Amino acid sequence: MISLAGRDILNAWGKFVFTGIGLGLLIGVTLTMAGVYRGMVDDGKALLDNSGADLWVVQLGTLGPYAESSSINDDVYRSILSVPGVAQTANVTYLTMQVRQGRRDVRSMVVGIVAGGLGKPGWPPYLVAGRQITRSHYEAVADIATGFKLGDRIQVRRNHYTVVGLTRRMVSSSGDPMVFIPLKDAQEAQFLKDNDAVLKQRQRTAENPSFNRPGVPGLLDAVIASQSKNPYVNAVLVRIQPGYSANEVAQKIHRWQRLTAYTRSQMEEILIGKLIATSSKQIGMFLVILAIVSAAIVAFIIYTLTMDKIREIAVLKLIGTRNRTIAAMIMQQAIALGVIGFVVGKITATFAAPLFPKYVLLMPLDTVAGFFAILIICVLASLIAIRMALKVDPAEAIGG
Amino acid sequence: MSKGILIEGVRKRYGAGDTAVDALKNVNMHVDPGEVVGLIGPSGSGKTTLLKCLGAVIEPSAGRMVLGDQVIYDEGWKIHDLRALRRDRIGFVFQAPYLIPFLDVTDNVALLPMLAGVPNSEARKRANELLKALDIEHRAGAMPSQLSGGEQQRVAIARGLVNRPPVILADEPTAPLDSERALTVIRILNDMAQRFETAVIVVTHDEKIIPTFKRIYHIRDGRTHEEAGEGRPFE
Amino acid sequence: MKTIRIQGRSLALLAVVLPLLALFVYVVLRSGPLAPVTVTVSTVEARSISPGLFGVGTVEARFSYRIGPTIAGRVKRLDVHVGDRVHAGQLLGEMDPVDLDDRVRAQEAALKHAQAALHEAEARQAYAQSQAKRYEQLLITHTTSEEIAATKKQDLKIANAALVAARQNLARVRADGAAVVAQRNNLRLVSPVDGLVVARDAEPGSTVVAGQSVVEVIDPQSLWIHVRFDQNSATGLTADLPAKITLRSRNGQSLKGGVLRVEPLADPVTEEILAKIVFDDLPDPLPPIGELAEVTVTLPELPAMPVVSNAVVRTEGGQLGVWQVEDGELHFVSVKLGQGNLDGQVQIREGLAIGDHVVVYSEKALSKRSRLHIVEQLPEAAK
Repeated sequence: MISLAGRDILNAWGKFVFTGIGLGLLIGVTLTMAGVYRGMVDDGKALLDNSGADLWVVQLGTLGPYAESSSINDDVYRSILSVPGVAQTANVTYLTMQVRQGRRDVRSMVVGIVAGGLGKPGWPPYLVAGRQITRSHYEAVADIATGFKLGDRIQVRRNHYTVVGLTRRMVSSSGDPMVFIPLKDAQEAQFLKDNDAVLKQRQRTAENPSFNRPGVPGLLDAVIASQSKNPYVNAVLVRIQPGYSANEVAQKIHRWQRLTAYTRSQMEEILIGKLIATSSKQIGMFLVILAIVSAAIVAFIIYTLTMDKIREIAVLKLIGTRNRTIAAMIMQQAIALGVIGFVVGKITATFAAPLFPKYVLLMPLDTVAGFFAILIICVLASLIAIRMALKVDPAEAIGG
Repeated sequence: MSKGILIEGVRKRYGAGDTAVDALKNVNMHVDPGEVVGLIGPSGSGKTTLLKCLGAVIEPSAGRMVLGDQVIYDEGWKIHDLRALRRDRIGFVFQAPYLIPFLDVTDNVALLPMLAGVPNSEARKRANELLKALDIEHRAGAMPSQLSGGEQQRVAIARGLVNRPPVILADEPTAPLDSERALTVIRILNDMAQRFETAVIVVTHDEKIIPTFKRIYHIRDGRTHEEAGEGRPFE
Repeated sequence: MKTIRIQGRSLALLAVVLPLLALFVYVVLRSGPLAPVTVTVSTVEARSISPGLFGVGTVEARFSYRIGPTIAGRVKRLDVHVGDRVHAGQLLGEMDPVDLDDRVRAQEAALKHAQAALHEAEARQAYAQSQAKRYEQLLITHTTSEEIAATKKQDLKIANAALVAARQNLARVRADGAAVVAQRNNLRLVSPVDGLVVARDAEPGSTVVAGQSVVEVIDPQSLWIHVRFDQNSATGLTADLPAKITLRSRNGQSLKGGVLRVEPLADPVTEEILAKIVFDDLPDPLPPIGELAEVTVTLPELPAMPVVSNAVVRTEGGQLGVWQVEDGELHFVSVKLGQGNLDGQVQIREGLAIGDHVVVYSEKALSKRSRLHIVEQLPEAAK
């Protein structure tokens, strides 16, 4: 017995492959959309993974440092170090702002990392080029998504930094690429405004009579100097000693230091549950709609392909072809179409993913699930067509 | 049991009670193996219904039908697998060739034995024999769309014959053809019928070929009556 | 005939299907968990590095003098402008004397008055003395009474006391006079050293309080840079180390200098060590006081040791270490780091040997099970 499905496909392979490619593009779009969703969630996870921390210590009662602004003194880390179970602490600041390079500026998350803290939490865990920061001022490590290259001079507020290293996949939860600079520079950047604002502030202070007493000559200068310092950071990242539980240590910190400490799973919940929840729901809904539309179109295509052959099917039935054989022909064609569509879709999705401005993560699980979903849809769609085909009366083949 | 076709007292009633209508009232026919008879009648006379009954596509209401050496109907189907019956015992030749467009000529013909479980190479061998007999083996690898109407019809005839059925039912096989081709087709039918001892019924109203029949059945209002035909020979 | 035609069609179909399939297989193998991680690898070499220390500081003057009055007053005039060079003892300006001149005159008059009083007291004392002597003589000749002689003696005593009082009064008035003159002299603002005027803090006519600075003078030869080094990366900072100085306004120009001293008092709040760096040769023109400068101190070269780029160092499970590639197998090795230089080379004290292969750059985080695809340079970095 020859394969009727195979012969039919071979005979009109152009149309078949063309249809398969069209279907594949639709499937590719659906897979890519699933990738966009996964990418959003992964952005949040990458942020947490890359910080290398087990605990995030932030201002009491805030959801910081990513979901809400948090401000704690930069010497608090010393008392946290004394809590049993704490192995390492590191101050860190985060500020999303425009970083200028030449003519253009790039929206980035500027991260302040402690000088000399190679291997400490908050530092970039791995590089794709260059080296880590060695100087305590005016050096930067940037993510390649910013478009900066090694040796570029970038400007953050009033200072210029030389890019000495490049990273990959270091992004904020909203997909902004990170730029790492020494902590003291970052504290200044977070606090000090531009020159105009500084001058105005000095003026205001000078006009205030309680700061500008004639009998106390050095008072005004001292007040202005104290206003120009920023002893705050956004969070302290903590690494825990092996053998201690994160929850335990977090509780201790909360009780004795009067600060809020979040474990990794709590941060994930905050980031993914609160920060990106709305966007991901949005995309999730769109994904469902796409999947339904794809299913409908697949079903329609298979139905139409079958209906085009209804006369041949009647003849086949008349000359004595088993129903089983006819059904197999239709189902085989549907599955072949589905496989072509899946192959084209996967290829399209893989090549389209890097073109998107934000991270698109194509998970193998999604691919496999997609494959089986397509097969099931094709089988179900072919069942409808088969039912139509089998209902055909062979007598119609014999004249009217 | 004699071979050929034997139809006795076949009736086909549609509907029931007062609205019942008899498409066939009392049909009697017999065809010997190797014989080609014509079945002529105006439209609405029931000839299509008769063909459908003979072809085991619809069930008669009463009567007896014998195909070959098998009683297929005697006040009820005597055969369980009608589809197998159609596949193995009856050859169909239609008005339009109805070839499968995605199979080449050989496979269109070989499909039937393959459906019956014959291995592919054997089926193709048989197909080629018939194509040779019909003088069309030079087109064995062509696709149906590449053949002329007459060539397609010959392939259809080959398909009808490939399983060596004892019976062939032909429904207006020459309608779309010109006179030369039409006569060729009827001549081939006659040759094949004689060669393979097949009983052939040809439903037609094609004036070009009616004179070739030796016997003709007229059907009107669901009844048949036999008549001698001209029996004009072929040149 | 038939086979050829079918072959033709099949060939065309294969020409489309096979590349598609190949592309698909490529896609599956190149992404997802089956995909290898692209990395670069380098060999641990023995090298001697010169660690460097980096700090940012401001230009300051070692000695700066803020010259002003010792009592509240009004500035009368200033004779110098910012940027003028002055010498020791030079008059820079003057405060308004107000009533001081009158007070000096008053004191002079009081002095004269006291002197006159002294003369008077001297005259009285001389007379009383001669009277006392005469009456003593008369007493011996019994020409006068004892009472009168005693009275004259008493008068002499009184006159002596009055003389002493008059003398002391004169001294007091003299001292007062000297004090007022001294004050009068303090109204003169005088430069204590040879130097450069850097500020005029109060203009003529403004009132200043005692101790407030009117003119600031510095010794320009004494410019130094007050530098802050982060405590984390200030190992080995001592006096006499050579330093390179880059002034903020003169980017690209690197000046030579050296560490003068490391301050004994560090800054506990900002966690920085403070140091003073001096120029080998003062730049001309002089950098303004308060300008920012970046200072790099180079420590002496250390003996050769296994050295890697600091990009190699990673953390796994809280441990500092590197990913070593051995016979195609990847494993994480804990290391102890030594010193590093400012170009990112860092010593490995323990954990690696010379010739070991280590992963430098990778396109994502590594794990024991990662399959590696070793290249010369990561593609993203090259773009």
